[in-house]
Amino acid sequence: MTTTVAETGFHPQAFEQFLSARREPSWLTDLRRRAWRAFRELDLPDSRSEEWRRTDIRLLRLDRFGLAAVPAPTVVEPEALLAANVELAGRTASLDTHVQTAELGARWSAQGVMFGSLDDLLAEHGDLFRPYLTRRIVDPRVDKFAALSGACWSGGTLLYVPRGVAIDRPLHTFSGLSPGGVDLGRTLVVLDEGAEATLLAETGSLEASGAGLHCGTTEIIVGPGARLRYVGLQNWGTGVWHFAHQKAVVERGGRLQWTIGALGSRLAKVNQHVVLAGRDADVQVNGVMFTEGKQHLSYHTLQHHREPYCHSDFLYKGALQDRSHLVWRGMIKVDPGCDKTDAYQRDDNLLLSESARADSIPGLEIEADDVRCSHGATAGRVDDEQIFYAQNRGLTRKEAVRMIVAGFFQQVFDRITIDSVRDALGDAIRRRVREYQ
Amino acid sequence: MEPHSTSEFVPVCQVSDLPDPGKTVVEVGDRLVALFHVSGTFWALDDLCTHDGGPLAEGELRGYTIICPRHGAQFDVRDGRALTMPATQATVAHEVKVEGDDVLIRLKDG
Repeated sequence: MTTTVAETGFHPQAFEQFLSARREPSWLTDLRRRAWRAFRELDLPDSRSEEWRRTDIRLLRLDRFGLAAVPAPTVVEPEALLAANVELAGRTASLDTHVQTAELGARWSAQGVMFGSLDDLLAEHGDLFRPYLTRRIVDPRVDKFAALSGACWSGGTLLYVPRGVAIDRPLHTFSGLSPGGVDLGRTLVVLDEGAEATLLAETGSLEASGAGLHCGTTEIIVGPGARLRYVGLQNWGTGVWHFAHQKAVVERGGRLQWTIGALGSRLAKVNQHVVLAGRDADVQVNGVMFTEGKQHLSYHTLQHHREPYCHSDFLYKGALQDRSHLVWRGMIKVDPGCDKTDAYQRDDNLLLSESARADSIPGLEIEADDVRCSHGATAGRVDDEQIFYAQNRGLTRKEAVRMIVAGFFQQVFDRITIDSVRDALGDAIRRRVREYQ
Repeated sequence: MEPHSTSEFVPVCQVSDLPDPGKTVVEVGDRLVALFHVSGTFWALDDLCTHDGGPLAEGELRGYTIICPRHGAQFDVRDGRALTMPATQATVAHEVKVEGDDVLIRLKDG
């Protein structure tokens, strides 16, 4: 599939050029057109809505970005943190939304596993994946960014694991951005009944302070009895605007362990939504966030129990330095009749400077009687007495702070079962901690 | 530690663009700055309430006091001092000068 339109911005003429260059089946074009109508009709969110009142996007100039241009001529892959020293079952890499590499071990493709560019795999197997796309797991009418992604996504990643197939090595996907680039990637993960897989999804910029825009969606379906470990590491340059809608549907007896690492971007607004859609579904979410400079990261989680006898456990931990700002809003929603629900959410924040700010807002919406649902949130500074104690035993102040930060994250690292992920996040955070007086 | 300036003065508008008294928001570098015109003098603050991040310039200007539209926190437009709860910390004040009909702002770090 070719995309050869010029860089022209998000306006109707550019969209028509984009569509005509893609030659997609009519059902997919219809989906894109409907999302495009929503994009044109919706305003950018403003600070009057509760969801956006702490996230100021008045400096975002959407018209400075545009639809995917001609493919980038250079294949430059920034250092991939999650894949270091890991034997992979497959990998993909993209730059500015154009997939440049897609590999899958023959052993897995022979068993019907599909992994690679969503664009390319849809062109070959559109009928197989049509039901998943027409379900619109992420509704493009939710806001202008979801609509933009629904209309203009390209490249992207698809993982499909057929019934009963267990992939015993991780798959890795890397999305890169060049300075000023745009990533409109979309991720679709489908595990059929009893399937198992681990997907490591990572983003990064060619320049650490590079600007850019990511507007994307991630849709995950964990079939009955299937098991997925999904890791998303957002490590864009500190000039990137990051807008993401991420949603997983876990069916009867399915298990999802979802780990989020948030280190990069200038401003990130992420909606993470998990639906427990069948009895005995089990979801664990681990969030690791570190912000510095003037970064602003805003995460909005929803754990939606639609069936009884399900378990969900969300743990987010964030450390902040300089003048950075973390926002976390979490909601546990339990539908009527969903008895024996066991749901927990927690968000802890460690403030490393006086100017950093954390807003932590947990919430419950319970419509069933026989449930156990609880939540907690904390925000605090590094304890000077602990630093004094450590310095008395020969550590420098910086070493002491690093040790305290490591201890703070240990609870969430203990839950992450993939060594490379734990090491990558730990190393990245250790490197970022500076000395404070 | 007091914030200090590292940038140059940047023209943001003309004197005649802003009535006296008056307020507006201007974009300087990667920041939104609330610009005030009171009794013949211009003043500039981060357009940011230190209580919950509200947009100060959308609030009511009374003399040298700007009132955050969200929860009523008040700041002195001349130096960014927080005057009332719920704000307890100053918002960053930037340097302003007038050259001819041009109003220029130099950002302070912080």
